[in-house]
Parts: sequence; C-alpha cells; structure tokens
Amino acid sequence: MIWHNFWTGPNNSFLLWLRIILAFVIPSALFYSIRSVSPFTRKIIVAAAFFFTGGVYVFYFLWPQPIHRQPLDIPRNLSESIGFMLSDSVPVAADVANIVGAFLLGLGVYSVFSIHVDKIRKGHRDSPFSIALIISVFLMLFFGYLNYYQTLKAPPGVNMTLPQNWHFAQYARDFLFNGVLQQMDAAMFSLIAFYILSAAYRAFRIRSIEATVLLATALILVLKVMGVVADPWSQLVHGLHFGNNQFGDNFTFLNISNFLQNSFQSSSIRAVDFGVGIGALAMALRLWLSIDKQTGT
Amino acid sequence: MSYYLAAGTWANQYTDTGWFAVALTVLLCLFVLYNIALSHKKFKEGKTTFIRRIAGLNSIDEAVGRATEMGRPVLMVPGLGGLGPVVVQALTIFSSITRTAAKFANPIILCCADAAVYTVAQETIRDVYQSEGLADRYDPSSVRFVSDRQFAFAAGVSGIILRDQVAATFFMGDFYAESLIFAETANMAGAIQIASSTQTTQTPFFIASCDYVLIGDEFYAASAYLSREPTLTGSMTGQDWCKMMVIFLVVLGAIINTQEIARVTFGPGGIFNQHYINQDKQHSAIVNLPAARPAKSSDSPIEHLFNPQDDPSLQKTIVRDQNPPDRKGASD
Repeated sequence: MIWHNFWTGPNNSFLLWLRIILAFVIPSALFYSIRSVSPFTRKIIVAAAFFFTGGVYVFYFLWPQPIHRQPLDIPRNLSESIGFMLSDSVPVAADVANIVGAFLLGLGVYSVFSIHVDKIRKGHRDSPFSIALIISVFLMLFFGYLNYYQTLKAPPGVNMTLPQNWHFAQYARDFLFNGVLQQMDAAMFSLIAFYILSAAYRAFRIRSIEATVLLATALILVLKVMGVVADPWSQLVHGLHFGNNQFGDNFTFLNISNFLQNSFQSSSIRAVDFGVGIGALAMALRLWLSIDKQTGT
Repeated sequence: MSYYLAAGTWANQYTDTGWFAVALTVLLCLFVLYNIALSHKKFKEGKTTFIRRIAGLNSIDEAVGRATEMGRPVLMVPGLGGLGPVVVQALTIFSSITRTAAKFANPIILCCADAAVYTVAQETIRDVYQSEGLADRYDPSSVRFVSDRQFAFAAGVSGIILRDQVAATFFMGDFYAESLIFAETANMAGAIQIASSTQTTQTPFFIASCDYVLIGDEFYAASAYLSREPTLTGSMTGQDWCKMMVIFLVVLGAIINTQEIARVTFGPGGIFNQHYINQDKQHSAIVNLPAARPAKSSDSPIEHLFNPQDDPSLQKTIVRDQNPPDRKGASD
C-alpha cells in the first residue's frame, strides 16, 4: 500500500496518465510562450517561474517537515499532508534539474568539439592537442559503452568486475580511466605542492610589522609538524614548572599552534563565513524575487 | 513539568532552537528587503550610498587596459561551482569586465567547468556585447566549456593561460585545490590577477599569489560597487544590518555564556557554594530529574540554543496510521 501525493499516482490510473501528459504539456506551453512573447512579458514569465519554483524551497524550509517518516506512512492531518507533499517535491525538483543538466552537458560537449574542430580545420599550431583530445573522447566513449554492454550481457554467474573475466574492452577502459586519466589527475594535484612553495616564497617576506607577525605565526605552525624540532623543544619546556604546575607545557609548538588556530584563525574564518553566508542569502533573495536588475539582462 | 517542543508536529528546524533559527532567517531577509526599498526611495530623492573603496574592483579598468595595450586576452573563471548565487554573482562581475573589454575591442576568454554555467555565461556575455551595440565583436568561442573534472579543468585553463599568454585574469567563485594552479600559472605568464573565492580555505592561496583579492563578502559587494544600482546598494546596506545583528548575537551569547559560567563557578550557586538543579533539557525536552544534581556550565540556555540535538524520543511519540479507514488518495 503506497500513499500517492500530488507528484505520483496509482499505476496505469487515469490520474497518473493525466499528470504525465500535463508534465509534457505545461513545460511545452511555457517554452512556446517564452519564445513567442515580447521581452517584457518573457521577463514576467521567467520571474513567475523563478518565484514559484524558489517558493517551493522557501516553503519547504519554513513548513515543519514530518519527523522520522517511514515509506508507508500516511499523513495524520493537514499540516503533515503539506509537509509530506513538500518533502516529496524536493526529489522531483532534483530530477528535473538532472534532466536539464543532462541536456546542458550536451551543449558543453558541443562547445568543446566546436572549438577543437575549428582549430584542426584552421591548422592552428595547437591542433595536435585538439586531435588528441577528440580521439581520447571517442576512445573513452567507445570502450566505456562496450564495457557497459559486455558487463550487462555477461553470462549468469560471471562477475565482470574480476580481472580474470575481462576482455579487451575492460582492459582498454581500465587503461584509459585508471591508467591514464586518474594518473594525470594525480599528477596535476601533486603540482600544488610545488606551487605552494613558490607562492610562499614570494608571499612570506618581511616588509611590514603585519608581515613579520604573519611570518612568525607561519613559522610556529610549520615547526609544529616538524618532529625534529618540535620534540626536543617539548622536552626542553617540559622541565619548566612552578611546583606541581607544568607551566612550560603551554609553550610547546603544539599548544602555541592550537592557541593560534583556535583563538585567532577560527574566529577570523567564522567572521568571513558569516559575511559570505549573509551575502549569499541576500543574493538568493534578489534572484528569487527577480529584483536584481544586473543579472536580469 | 515535562513537555516536548511541538513533538510529533514540528520539524527538526523547530525542535531544539524553537522558532529562533527560522525567525532569525526571516528577520535577516526583512533587513535586506527593507533596505532595498529604502535605497530606491533615496535614489529617487537623488541621494547616493557611500561604498568604501575596494582596491581589487578599482583595478579592473587598469587590468583590462593593460591587456589591451599588450594585445592579449582577458581570462575569467567562475570556479567549479554549479549554477547558484555564487556563480550568478561572478557572472555579474564578469559582465561588467566584459563591458569594459568590449569597448576596448579586447578579446576575452571565459572558461566554465559546469555545463549549466556555460550556457548562462554564453547568454550573459552575448547580452553584454549586444547592449553595448558591439554584437559584431562577440566571439562565441570566447565562452568555453573546458571540463567538469576538477584537474582536467585545471590543466585545460592552465594550458589556455600559457598558450594565449593572457594579460589579466579574474578568478571569482567557488575554487578548491585548483586555485593555486591557476594563480601560479597566471603569475608565470605575467598576468595581472584579481581573485575572490567564497571558500575561505582558498583565499590565503589567492592572497599569496594574486595582485588583488576580494575577501569574503566583498565578493557580493562587487556588483553594487561597480554598478551603484539602488537595488544592489540597498541589498548591501541590508547585509551590513544583518552583520550588525550577528555581531550583536555573538556579543550577547558571549555575555550570557560568561555570566552562566561565572554563576556556576563563582556565584551563590557556584562550585564553591554548590547550586543544584532539578530540571534538565534532554534531547530537546525539558524533563524533571529523578534527583537534583549540581549545575554545570553546559546547563545554560545559550548552550542549549546553539547545540541542537536530535531527539530519539520523538520517534516513539509519532505513530502514523498506515491503514486508516478512509484511505483517500491511497492505492495498492
């Protein structure tokens, strides 16, 4: 027994078919109306669509959601009915976004191809790279789908994830994905270590009092993770004490770094985060209500 | 006395902090909307809002002018994020940069890591050229989708920076580990760099390697700063009100918490003169304790307010009928 809400319907029922048809007709009508109306009316339609779709999420935030809801639960009252409908609408909205995203990805791939095919056609000096890119895309597509098809059609009991059952397509896909793509990703990531070094070399120079404080703080944090310095220093300061009070332990690199990070760094980052969060709230509000003239061009 | 905060009816956002979190959010929204209305009123009266100087934004013209003199393109990257407030804000800034570049007939390159962002960016940039009456200067390939894989995107953009020897770069949006790769590569190419990231973990990298950095909410103030449009300046004033509210709450919280700690430690009911309590807040509910116990600093109301807890007891209190007599809307 399943409770059906606004977004679903019983299998093969008139209600479900009506909803499926409306799901095609309403967006098609909206799309057609957007294309055929004047820019001013288009703006109103887009603003209304924004307000309605954004309103679902706003309402979802404000309306109390059902707690510990089970799949077979039935709402007990109007409050829960609305809560159920809103919580059910979020996955629907996510599905719509995924479908639109899939179409947009196609446009993205078209952009990549148009730029690189153009380069090859014009004989640009970088055209060998473009050829390599297009060949890579097609190779990955071909072996990816072949691997998927062979895995799907594998005889019962044959586990295609095990290398002993692999054919050429699986080895090729593994080589392209794990052997090439992942390794190149790792290579790019490892470059960051060297870039940090060169950026730090330029940035950490004593040019002012602030820069000196920054450098000293950075040095303490660096020394904290250098056992060869931090351990002897800890041993040394451990000996400082007033009676039973291990006063010197406050001056280990670990404790000084913790103090700096907890007292100064965390509070500063939180202040910045507050600002960013409030800025995002204001921006989202302007977008939802379509009052942002800048982005409405 | 024992009560549940709207047990069985209210959602998680109401169970522990009550109406506080929701009411605060609504209040912050009202601050923004009120100031937008106020800014429009001021604008009609011919008054303007003062915005302090932001060096990074003042340098946009300088950066684009330099690129024009050198005959090299301007590169813009809206980060890895999907279509959301951050990216829309980045595109708003980029449209302003593009407007300047279009006037100088300077080539631009805008690299995207998200297909949805790519399509919106393409429309935005095309609109800018059309609104300036320079539609013939618009190059569709100037807005590019590079890749949606983080390091493939980093490699692609780095390649563009080095091959095209870009003269100015604008990195604005959500950046992650690739931020330093971009910034350092552009530095090697000798580009003037203006950057901003809403990710606080990446801002230090930008500060270390870029010429100008917009920190935190300066990123959101950028469009107001560049356009001086009343909606945006009003929104920015509203944001300042919101920040004042947050500062007030932080100070209030610190005072109340300090007072609670002082009371528990040194006050008449403190450790030295032990104070006992017979009620406690357990999993969002105030319950009578079987026996009085010494008060702790964690018993303070402010501690309860900012430490929401899930309430397993609510699970037991809700029994929804899965087979009621009237199954309206239900089927097999």
